[in-house]
Amino acid sequence: MARRINVYQVAVKNLFRKKTRSALTVLGIGLSAWVLLSLLGFNRGYEAALNKDIDNMGFQVLVAAKGCPYEAATLMLKGGTGLRYMNESVIRDILRHPEVEKVTPMLMQAVFDPNKGESGGLSAYLGVDPATFPALKSYLKFKQGGWFTDTQAHEAVMGYEAAELEQREVGDLLLIPEKNIELKVAGVLTRSGTQDDGTIFVPLRMLQKEFGQEGRVTAVGIKVDRRADITALENKLYDLPDVQVVSMAQVKETIMSLVSTAKVMVLSIALIAILIAMLGVVNTILMSVLERYQEIGIIKSMGAMPWDVFRMIWTETVILCLLGGGVGIGFSVVLSKITDILIRRLLPYTPTGSLVAVDSGLAFLTIGVILGIGLVSGVYPAWRASRVRPLESIRSEGE
Amino acid sequence: MKNSRHPAARSAWAVLLSLLAAIPLFPAVGCDLNDPDRDVKRLFPESTGYRTLYVSVAGKGGRELLHQIEARLGDSFKGLYETADVPYTMYQVYKGKDLIGYIHGVNQKGRYGGLQVFLALDLQGNIRSFYFQKLTSQVAKLLRDPSFGRQFEGLNLKDFYGYNVTTAATRGESRVAAIRNPAPQAEDDFRAALRAVKKNLILVDEFLLGNKYKE
Amino acid sequence: MSRQTSVLEAQNLTKIYRRGSEEILALDNVSLVVRPGEFLSFVGPSGSGKTTLINILGGLDNATSGRLKVGGRMIFDGRKGLSESELTRIRRQVFGYIFQKFYLVPTLTVEENVLLPFAFFKKPGSPAGALGLLKSLGLEKRTRHRPAELSGGEMQRVAIARALINKPEILLADEPTGNLDSKRSEEIGHVLKSLNQKEGLTILLVTHNAALARMAQRTITLRDGRISS
Repeated sequence: MARRINVYQVAVKNLFRKKTRSALTVLGIGLSAWVLLSLLGFNRGYEAALNKDIDNMGFQVLVAAKGCPYEAATLMLKGGTGLRYMNESVIRDILRHPEVEKVTPMLMQAVFDPNKGESGGLSAYLGVDPATFPALKSYLKFKQGGWFTDTQAHEAVMGYEAAELEQREVGDLLLIPEKNIELKVAGVLTRSGTQDDGTIFVPLRMLQKEFGQEGRVTAVGIKVDRRADITALENKLYDLPDVQVVSMAQVKETIMSLVSTAKVMVLSIALIAILIAMLGVVNTILMSVLERYQEIGIIKSMGAMPWDVFRMIWTETVILCLLGGGVGIGFSVVLSKITDILIRRLLPYTPTGSLVAVDSGLAFLTIGVILGIGLVSGVYPAWRASRVRPLESIRSEGE
Repeated sequence: MKNSRHPAARSAWAVLLSLLAAIPLFPAVGCDLNDPDRDVKRLFPESTGYRTLYVSVAGKGGRELLHQIEARLGDSFKGLYETADVPYTMYQVYKGKDLIGYIHGVNQKGRYGGLQVFLALDLQGNIRSFYFQKLTSQVAKLLRDPSFGRQFEGLNLKDFYGYNVTTAATRGESRVAAIRNPAPQAEDDFRAALRAVKKNLILVDEFLLGNKYKE
Repeated sequence: MSRQTSVLEAQNLTKIYRRGSEEILALDNVSLVVRPGEFLSFVGPSGSGKTTLINILGGLDNATSGRLKVGGRMIFDGRKGLSESELTRIRRQVFGYIFQKFYLVPTLTVEENVLLPFAFFKKPGSPAGALGLLKSLGLEKRTRHRPAELSGGEMQRVAIARALINKPEILLADEPTGNLDSKRSEEIGHVLKSLNQKEGLTILLVTHNAALARMAQRTITLRDGRISS
């Protein structure tokens, strides 16, 4: 069978003329494709991970003591005092609403542990009611043991990672520093992939008593009847004195709006990166056209129509973009962990779970965007090449 | 972040409060110095640098090696910190180009939480210094006191062969018998510390000293 | 077979170049007829207009005035020439070109270079492949080599093969031995002569090389844009 050669084969081979230049152009496109795909994956993954974290809280609405939550958060992080409390009677007030299906009170207390780390650290304990808490967190399963034997017992249930770190099993002891209170480990949970993995749960009543907070809680988790209007309930709960009502939807909205600023910034950077990469493509192809000016003229003299030349040069652009897109996808897959770490460093709050969810759909979308922009970028050099007149090019001094 | 009056923003922080039910913990598995640059210099003031090695029982000899180490220890390896694939971080300490000693730490289960016991050793495997990098105890102050650690100085693995980690009995003329527990109410942490030291010395002997002290 | 008595007819061709306000008369009323199978050489000092003439005859450029018929078709009738696309179609059908520089594509093999015109256009009756053509030019052992591995003479022969792959009626050769030594130049001259004699290919050759010019059947001398003999 006789050999043939076509415009596309010529285009592919043209890219090998200056291998380094072509490789660098592909790398530039690859990097911008990586950024774009990671961003698209982040866009999807963050929201999914956040939803999962919030869903895993078990409650749709949280009632907490009124006050500056920022102040409370920082005080809590620096030392266990200054937390805002609610009277337990608020539970009764909440339960009056028919939309409320279940409630569970919680008390958070923290103490300074001088033996932790280099110069000490904080140890926190979450007091929960074993009668109501497990029902709202049904996904929590036990690796060993179970919930407390008594509401006043000096016992603890440890999250998977908390137990792992301290090498605790059921029957082992824990010490609450400062108070020097011994607790016995009653249960160790399986890994849930949520914040609960690092939590030490203790009986609410015991914690209240030992920390002198009888009758007080820091938050109440509420499970809303699925037929009820959550927003309407929230509005009613706002009427309760000295409390603030947190809806998980609001939390998500707030966190997403915090994150959206970062997303807009990263999206801008991604677009700029793509534009820069495309300028690189235009430059590469244009330089290649100018270097081959006379050769293109000869090709025209052989009988190539302007569209043939346009097609040939445009194909080179397409190949560079496809290769670059492929490289970018490769980077995304191989470097997904590093991308995750980078994002976690940048953002103020990151949910557990994978932040960047890349799938084949997003990969194709990325290639599509890169290809689309590439095709537009390639028009000018291809048009320039198609306009070459054989005689002018032969007369020219070339490069 | 500015203190916003918007209820949603304030609420978000409250929920973050509840989400942050546990404070960030140390990384699990392995036992590294908290600040190697500072700690190496403190333990070896004459040093000019160090090299970090990562070794594991699984990497060197697998299950067979694990059994040999358990036999030397006189106890089986238990729990997450004593599996065959736990990475042990060993520090080789240098003065100029000369190797002058080693530092190694191990995890050990204590009464109220995990202990981390570090030893600084000379090239013959004799203990230069001992300290707790991590310890949760009501009498932590007594156990962390330098006078407790000084009792270990000059001891080596040969001394610890005379110590039974499960019964706490010593045989023969073992110098381990001379080590005093400054906090009798924390007997279990004291015994945990001794087990940790013996385990530490066996691992150093296996990975760095070429089984110099193998019986 | 063509029944034409001429493949190319030029009447009073004139070419004026305008450089700003200056006008340069490159060709001045040149007329000639080229018969099928003729081997014509154009000689003359630099600036005599021989390259200008051959470019116009070859459909690479338009004249300022005059008439030109190629293969029976009017290319230029004194008022306007054909568009670039129309010229391209004519070039495809009628002409093959070789130049002083070989203009081979460095990333393609010899065979691929020869086949390159087929990427854009394959004339009915053109050979299926390049191997026969390469063999006739003594390049059968070089088909897989790249231009960088060839001598000057070999590269020019590849360029000739490429120019011939679409079976042109006329081969235009503009200083084809300009970059070659005398031995290789003679080789190329013999190739051209053989193509003319054996294949009946019409050849228009521009050259400074007197020995090469003598290989043609007829020599036209130009001076100052006019045919002097």
